[in-house]
Amino acid sequence: MRLYKKEGNTVQILSFPTENAEKGDYLLIEDTKPNNKALITQVIDVQFANVPGILEELLRDSTNGDSLNGQDFDPLEVSSHLTYIQDARLLVCKIRASLENGKLSPTSAWLPSRSHSTIKPLPTTALLKLIKINHSLPVQLGETKDESPLNIDATALDGKLNIVTGKKETGKSHLSKLLVLSLLGYGAPVVVLDLNGEYAHLGYGADGKKNEYSSRVNVLTPSENFRVALAQMKLRVVLNILIHALNLPGTSAREFRRIWQFLDERATLTLHELGEAIRNWRCNQHVRDALFSRYYALVNSGFFTDNPSDAVNLEDCFQRVRSGGALVVNLRDTSLVDRQIVVEYLLGKLVDLLTQHKLRAVFLFAEEAHLYLRETYWDDIVTRMRHFGVFTTFVTNQPDTIRENIYRQADNVFLFNFTNEHDLEAVSRAAKVDAETVKSIARDLPAHHCLLLGTAVKDFPIVVRVKALNVQTMGQTRLFFTEKN
Amino acid sequence: MIQQTQYTPTTSKYNFPQSTLEDTTLPTRFIELSLRSIKTIQNNEAALYQPYEAMTDETTEEVTPIFQGQTKLRLNTIPLKPSHQETPVVAIDVSSIKIGETSAGILLAIRGAIVSKKQRQSHYHYLRIGPFPFHITEQNKKEIYQLFRQYSLDTLAPNTTSTPSLIHMQTRITTLLERWLQTGVATQSQNTLILWDGSLTAGTSDSPTHIMMQLLETARNRLNTVLAFSKITRLRLSGQRLTDLIETSKPPCLLQIEGYPTAPTNTIHFLGNIHVAKLTQGNCSFRLDTDRQLPTEQAVEAIQRLMGNDQLSESYPETLRLAHIYSTFTANEVIAIQRLLAQTHGIKTVTRPNIRRLLFGPYGKGPDGA
Repeated sequence: MRLYKKEGNTVQILSFPTENAEKGDYLLIEDTKPNNKALITQVIDVQFANVPGILEELLRDSTNGDSLNGQDFDPLEVSSHLTYIQDARLLVCKIRASLENGKLSPTSAWLPSRSHSTIKPLPTTALLKLIKINHSLPVQLGETKDESPLNIDATALDGKLNIVTGKKETGKSHLSKLLVLSLLGYGAPVVVLDLNGEYAHLGYGADGKKNEYSSRVNVLTPSENFRVALAQMKLRVVLNILIHALNLPGTSAREFRRIWQFLDERATLTLHELGEAIRNWRCNQHVRDALFSRYYALVNSGFFTDNPSDAVNLEDCFQRVRSGGALVVNLRDTSLVDRQIVVEYLLGKLVDLLTQHKLRAVFLFAEEAHLYLRETYWDDIVTRMRHFGVFTTFVTNQPDTIRENIYRQADNVFLFNFTNEHDLEAVSRAAKVDAETVKSIARDLPAHHCLLLGTAVKDFPIVVRVKALNVQTMGQTRLFFTEKN
Repeated sequence: MIQQTQYTPTTSKYNFPQSTLEDTTLPTRFIELSLRSIKTIQNNEAALYQPYEAMTDETTEEVTPIFQGQTKLRLNTIPLKPSHQETPVVAIDVSSIKIGETSAGILLAIRGAIVSKKQRQSHYHYLRIGPFPFHITEQNKKEIYQLFRQYSLDTLAPNTTSTPSLIHMQTRITTLLERWLQTGVATQSQNTLILWDGSLTAGTSDSPTHIMMQLLETARNRLNTVLAFSKITRLRLSGQRLTDLIETSKPPCLLQIEGYPTAPTNTIHFLGNIHVAKLTQGNCSFRLDTDRQLPTEQAVEAIQRLMGNDQLSESYPETLRLAHIYSTFTANEVIAIQRLLAQTHGIKTVTRPNIRRLLFGPYGKGPDGA
C-alpha cells in the first residue's frame, strides 16, 4: 500500500490486489523518519484506482467469444502486471487520530511522507488496546471482522443518550435486547417501551424455557396487568395526558383542574366520581362535552381502574428492578391514544420517583418513540430528564423521526444498514462522526453488523457483528402463510 | 512463368491463421535479446526516466510520390461492387512505444498483432506478439538492428547501410518486426487477402527493394493478394489532395492513378499501384496500394472481395482496424512494463524535470499541451 493523497482529514491510499482492505478496516500509516509518528486511519470507501488507459483496455478486451477471440504470445508476462494494475484500488480513508511515540492525539496536523511511510492494517485488538477502552463492566457486543471479540463498557451507556437505528430486519432490536440484558446483568434498572411485544419473552430461552433473567424481567401490559387508579396519579400527570395525549383545550383543562382538586379534597378520586363530578359541575356546556369526551377516552382505554386490587403500584414495580431488572411495558395491541396515555403516566411517575431519589437512575429503551412520545418530550428526555437519571436509548428504523438536535447530542450511535439516501442523510447528522463515514459504511453493512459510533468506542467507529442471544428475541409478526399451513 | 489467376476455394487447413506462428525463432531471439538488453540497464544505472508523453510509432512513414502536373498522369475512377466469394482476410499491424530513457539509451516496447477473419465465419481471431521491451544503447543498437534485419529480411548478408541513430531505431525495428510478420503471414496463407498498414514503397534500408519484391512474390505464389492501406496520405496532384478528388465520385469506388514514375529516385521504388479508395459512404478515403504485378482486374477483384468478406467502417477494413487496436499500447500497459522492469530488474522509473515547464511555466506546454 502506498500513500497517494491527503485532503483535509481524508487520505487516499493506493492498494494492490494482494492487499486486502475493506470498508471499516483500520490502517496505520507509519512515518518513522522524523519523530516516530503514525496516523490511524479508517477505510470508508474502496474504489478502483483511476489508472490511465483503463477504458481503452476494457473496451478492447470486452469482446464476447462469438465475434472476436484470440491469444497472446506474451513470454515476459506483461499481462499479469497489467491485470495487477487494472485491479489496483484506491482506499479512501478518514484520519481518526495521530500516534506519536505511542501516545494518541486527536489532531493530525502533520503530513506523513509519501515515499518513506509504511502502511499496514491495524487489527481491532491492537486498536482497542491503543484507545484503552475501560473494561470494568464489559458488554460483549459480538465480533469484529478479524474475529476478535468487541466489548464496550457498560459505563459508556451510563448517563448517556444512545440511538440504535437501521432499516428493518437488520438486527436493531436484537442489539437493544443484548444491551438490556447486559445492563440488568450488572444490576441496572431498565425500562423498555416495547411497541411490538418483542421484549416480553426476554425471560425465556430460545427453547422456550425460563432463563437466568426470567425473575428479573417484569412485563406490564396496559389494561391487563398494568392498570392504575386515579388516586395514584398526580394532577400534573393527568393534565399532561389530557392536554398532550387527548388534546384537551386550555379552558376545559382549567375546569378539570378544579374538578380534580374538588375530588382530591374529598378523597374520592375514582373514575366513577370523576364522571359524576363532570356531569354535575357548573360549567359551560361545551366545556362539559369536551371533558366528557376525554373522560370516556380514559375509561375506554382500560388503563384506569377503581378497584384498588387491580391497580398496579408503579413504585413497587420500580423497587423490584432497582437492583437489576427490566420493566417491559408491552404496548403491542394498544391504540395510539392509549399508548400516549400509558407513556405520559409512566414517564411522569418515573420523574417523580427520581426527583424524590426513590430511584437512583433508569435506563430507558424506547422503540419507535415517535409513535407514542409527544413532541415536547424529546428535548425534555435528552436534557432535563437525563439530569434526573433517565438515560435513554432510542431504537428506530425511521431515523428522520428523530430530530437533528437529538442526533447531535447522542453519545453513542449503534448504526445498522441503511440503503435509502434520505435515511442516511438523517443519520449522518450525528455529531460523533463525519457524514461520509456514516453514508459510505452504513450503506454496505450486512445484516446483524453494526457500526459503533461514540463514547463507547472512544469515537473510533468500529464495525461489529452482533452476537447471537439465547433468548426468545423475535417479534411476533403474524404471518399469513405460516398460519394457513 | 506467368502466374495464373486462381480464386477457387482451397483447403482451409493450409490457410493462416493458425493458433501460433510456425516460425518462432524470432520471438525466441526477441526474448533473449530483450532480456539481455534490459540487463545492461542494471549494470549501468537502475533508473528509467519517463518521457513526458509516450511517443508511439506505428511503422513506416509514407514515401510520397510527387505528381507535379505530369502530362501523362491519368486518373480513372473505377466503380466497385462487393464480391461475396468467400476469401479469408488477414491484417498485420505493429506498434512501438518509448517507455523511457536511461543514461545510456532508450527503452522502448514493441508489439505486433495479426487479425484474421476466417472463411464462413463471422468472427475475428487475433494473435498478439509481445510486448517486448528493449533497451537500446549505442553499444547494443548494432546487434539489435542486425538481428531484426537478419530475421525480418531473411538475409544473412551483412548490412551495408549504417545502423540508424538511436532516435530512428524505434521506427526501424518496428518496421522490421512488421516485415517479419508480413513474411510469416505471406508464407503460411493461401488464397487470402493480406492487409498491410502503410504502402508498398521499397528502397529504404529496412525495406530493401529486392526483399519487398520477394515478399510480394511469395504472397502471389501462394495466391494471396496484398492490399496496403495508408491511414494518412500526403498524396497531392498539383497541390490538391488526391483523396479530395474522389469526393465527387459515388462510393464504393477506386480512383486509379496511372502514368507516374515507379522509381522517383534511384533507390525508392513503388512496388504497388497507387489508388485512392472510398469503399463506403462517409467522409474518409484512403491511399490503397495493390501489387503492381497483379493485373488491374485481379486487384479490383481483390478489393471487391474485401468489401464482400470484411466489415468496412468509413472505408477502412475491420480486420486492419482490429490489428491496429490490438497492437497499440495503452498508458496502462506502459505502466505495466515499467512495473515489470522494476520487479524483475529493479529499474525504477523517474520523471525528469520538464524543461519547458521550468522555463516557460504555463506557456511551456509543448506541441501537445494546448
